[in-house]
Amino acid sequence: MEDLMLYYHVPFCVSKCAYCAFYSTPQWDEPLLDSYTEALIRQTEGFEGSEGFLVTSVYFGGGTPTVLGALRLCRVLDAVKRCFKLKNGAEITLEANPKTVTYDDLCILRKAGFNRLSLGAQSFNDPTLRLLNRPHTAEDFVACFKNADLAGFDNVNADLIFALPNEDEGALSYSVSRLIELKPKHISVYGLSLEEGTPLFDNKEKYAFPAEDGEERQYCTLCKLLRDSGYSHYEISNFALDGYEAKHNTGYWKRVPYFGFGAGAHSFFRNRRFETPRDVTAYTEKTKLGFLSPTDYENAEEITEAEAREEEIMLSLRLAEGAPIALEKVPSVIFETGCGVYENGRLSLTEKGFRVSNAIIGMLMN
Amino acid sequence: MTDISKIRNFSIIAHIDHGKSTLADRLLEYTEAVSKRESVDRMLDNMELERERGITIKARAVNFKYQADDGNIYDMNLIDTPGHVDFNYEVSRSLQSCEGALLVVDATQGIQAQTLANAYLAVDNDLEILPVINKMDLPSANIQGTKDEIEEIIGIPAEDAPAISAKMGLNIKDVLEQIVKAVPAPVGDKDAPLKALIFDSYYDSYKGVVVYIRVKEGTVKVGDTVRMMHTGAEFELVEVGTLSAFGFNPKGVLTAGEVGYLTASIKNIADTEVGDTVTLVERPADEPLPGFKKVLPMVYSGIYPAEGAARYEDLKDALDKLRLNDSAFLFEPETSAALGFGFRCGFLGLLHMEIIQERLEREFNLDLITTAPSVIYRITYKNGEVKFIDNPTNYPSPDEIEEAAEPIVRATIITPTAYVGSIMELCQDRRGMFIDMKYVAGDRAELHYELPLNEIIYDFFDSLKSKTKGYASLDYEPDGYKASKLIKLDFLLNGENVDALSFIVHSEKSYARARRIVEKLKDNIPRQLFEIPVQAAVGGKIIARETIRALRKDVLAKCYGGDITRKKKLLEKQKEGKKKMRSLGSVELSKEAFMAVLKMDE
Repeated sequence: MEDLMLYYHVPFCVSKCAYCAFYSTPQWDEPLLDSYTEALIRQTEGFEGSEGFLVTSVYFGGGTPTVLGALRLCRVLDAVKRCFKLKNGAEITLEANPKTVTYDDLCILRKAGFNRLSLGAQSFNDPTLRLLNRPHTAEDFVACFKNADLAGFDNVNADLIFALPNEDEGALSYSVSRLIELKPKHISVYGLSLEEGTPLFDNKEKYAFPAEDGEERQYCTLCKLLRDSGYSHYEISNFALDGYEAKHNTGYWKRVPYFGFGAGAHSFFRNRRFETPRDVTAYTEKTKLGFLSPTDYENAEEITEAEAREEEIMLSLRLAEGAPIALEKVPSVIFETGCGVYENGRLSLTEKGFRVSNAIIGMLMN
Repeated sequence: MTDISKIRNFSIIAHIDHGKSTLADRLLEYTEAVSKRESVDRMLDNMELERERGITIKARAVNFKYQADDGNIYDMNLIDTPGHVDFNYEVSRSLQSCEGALLVVDATQGIQAQTLANAYLAVDNDLEILPVINKMDLPSANIQGTKDEIEEIIGIPAEDAPAISAKMGLNIKDVLEQIVKAVPAPVGDKDAPLKALIFDSYYDSYKGVVVYIRVKEGTVKVGDTVRMMHTGAEFELVEVGTLSAFGFNPKGVLTAGEVGYLTASIKNIADTEVGDTVTLVERPADEPLPGFKKVLPMVYSGIYPAEGAARYEDLKDALDKLRLNDSAFLFEPETSAALGFGFRCGFLGLLHMEIIQERLEREFNLDLITTAPSVIYRITYKNGEVKFIDNPTNYPSPDEIEEAAEPIVRATIITPTAYVGSIMELCQDRRGMFIDMKYVAGDRAELHYELPLNEIIYDFFDSLKSKTKGYASLDYEPDGYKASKLIKLDFLLNGENVDALSFIVHSEKSYARARRIVEKLKDNIPRQLFEIPVQAAVGGKIIARETIRALRKDVLAKCYGGDITRKKKLLEKQKEGKKKMRSLGSVELSKEAFMAVLKMDE
């Protein structure tokens, strides 16, 4: 049996965050959610040869998957369980935003088999949350987190963003400290990237963004705060308490095969990378026509051996354990500048190295 | 046998775009040497590049017959001349092969500096000059004004000059009749010892070198053994003939007064230098024709393959091939710590350099890195030794130099009077010495300046054009050497000297130039993992500095839902860019960045 990870994409959200450039929409109604749920189930049931795989992780991401509501989510997870063999202790993650799930919802979801929750906090400063058009306050997050705990979600991730508009180092430290108080098992931290076409980008003149130095200081501060509280920086953007490293995310970087369900979901399967149609209607219609032999997918790309090697370096350098690469192929400047360390045949990036990983990956390519 | 009294040898001299090539086409067309269909391309311009730039680089000759109003059939030889100052010597040899020249002036623009320079050359060569006023069909044509200007500036009668439109084919016959009437027939004795002037040559892969000649005295025929009087090379002739608009016409013999070509399976174009005299080995002439000059490069630049050593041999082959057709172009291997293996190349001037570089890139598909052009400096050492230095790398340290001298040119600038002030300012800024100025034809002025060639090859052309909206024209001729306060500017990246960036500059200009380059380096070198000091130095003393800060952030942290396509695209872009990266010491620099630094804009 071959290991496989499953990804379910739910491209709906309550409201569009000001910085978001991903494909997701706040335009939906109950019939659309129903038909989308049916489509996810049809695609799952239509997966051919599922008996050959052992599923190590299932991840519901978005958008905000909890927009579907607990019952629809449970139906999809049921379909997964019917169609695939899940490995003992498989990680089943659900992304959620505060105020999209009640305590009751969380109890139902936990019972249905979801065992990991990923909550978007982003900041603990309410003015920032408003500016980002997040549909919750800091206290909403805390309440949601506590509900999850009570509902039996022991393994919770919280997302934070640094280098936010109008936030300085102090504001960031405050968010990180508040989060640490809650002792989540896993914390993801991303530097804000201003993407063209987002409302935040269009209004960027109105806000104060930290300059390069300020951003770097924020990054160093949060790394230190988290380290001091026992979180290991095991991935470029991820911190976890011992044993709680995310299997799903780590699997991407270790090139574990994964299959994507839903509109605009990506797959890496049988040495090919491909995706489903991004448009919800197009996706839903296609599942009705009984599509879903892998050849029907879009942007399919066969990975050559050379590409596989490049992917391996590029992706594994995101992890603290680093990439297997011969020492003589590593330009010495990476060590001299304190961006990397070499141990047991692997090059690992330091915190400084993570910050410039694109440049370093570029240097390692032939 | 052609009757020498019915031969007319003439050139056309004109400023770029004043209609030289179009007129040539019309003349050939009128005499039915070429049908209209085939004259779509201007026939005298053979090279693709010439056509694109609308200029003629190498001389060509065409023979055609014309039945004049007097009933006689005349044997006409049109000898084309390159129109650019870089090729002055070649122009002078082409003019030496003629008895007359058509001076074509655009009636909408009047006389330009190049026209004037070539007209003077024609006068120097005792040519009969026939003014022709072109573009009479355009509404802005000022025919009378142009005639007045010709009389005033060049000092030749122009009242009877035909007003034509080469483009529309108007009054072409008037031009032909004038040639027959006014251009003298050549003189020469077909029985005298052979004296034939080489005015051009090029390499043909089937025939070997094709030599264009004007027979001044004597007769030359197939089978003769000839000697080049200056190079001493001897050959047995395989083909002798004239050139028509359709190609070779191997008639076997040429006699005094005629223009044509000869071939002799000559492999090396250097054996047939422009200006040399061809004579017969069996019955040689006593002395060669006057005016021979070895053509020497005036501008040098390093040329390196952008992809590095992998294309070095390809570059060498390409240079060899270009050299086959261009004896004025010199090259020898050189190495640069920064750029690896390449060639030091010598050119007649900036245009010549640009043409060669463009042909290398276009015809040979090479990607090049070229270093800043340099003139040849004359260095007198403390021990009395004198050396000519064309490469900043070989420039001695200041304490070895007794005197440094740089080449000077005498420049002629013709401009509408409105721009005289800004031109004087420009010349002064470029260390020019004012010689004189005269107002001509009402609203135009002719200025003479002595200028360092070094300044001209820097950005003088471009500045002149931009300051005068393109109305001023420039011509110059070398005028010896002059002692000057010269220094060598070096550039250091991360403390390491980058030899390929060094150049020689006048000391007064050194600081501004150093600052400019240092800033450009800072702007064009991508930030790297470490901080890079960028310094300019004169003899070890730092005179300008910038710092390229270390790269702080270059990360794509978010890869959502296993979508790594964005990351992969980024990687592909990086790989593409990396192919063209050069390591200058410990610093990586793209070809584009390197060239941007050397680009001479202000």
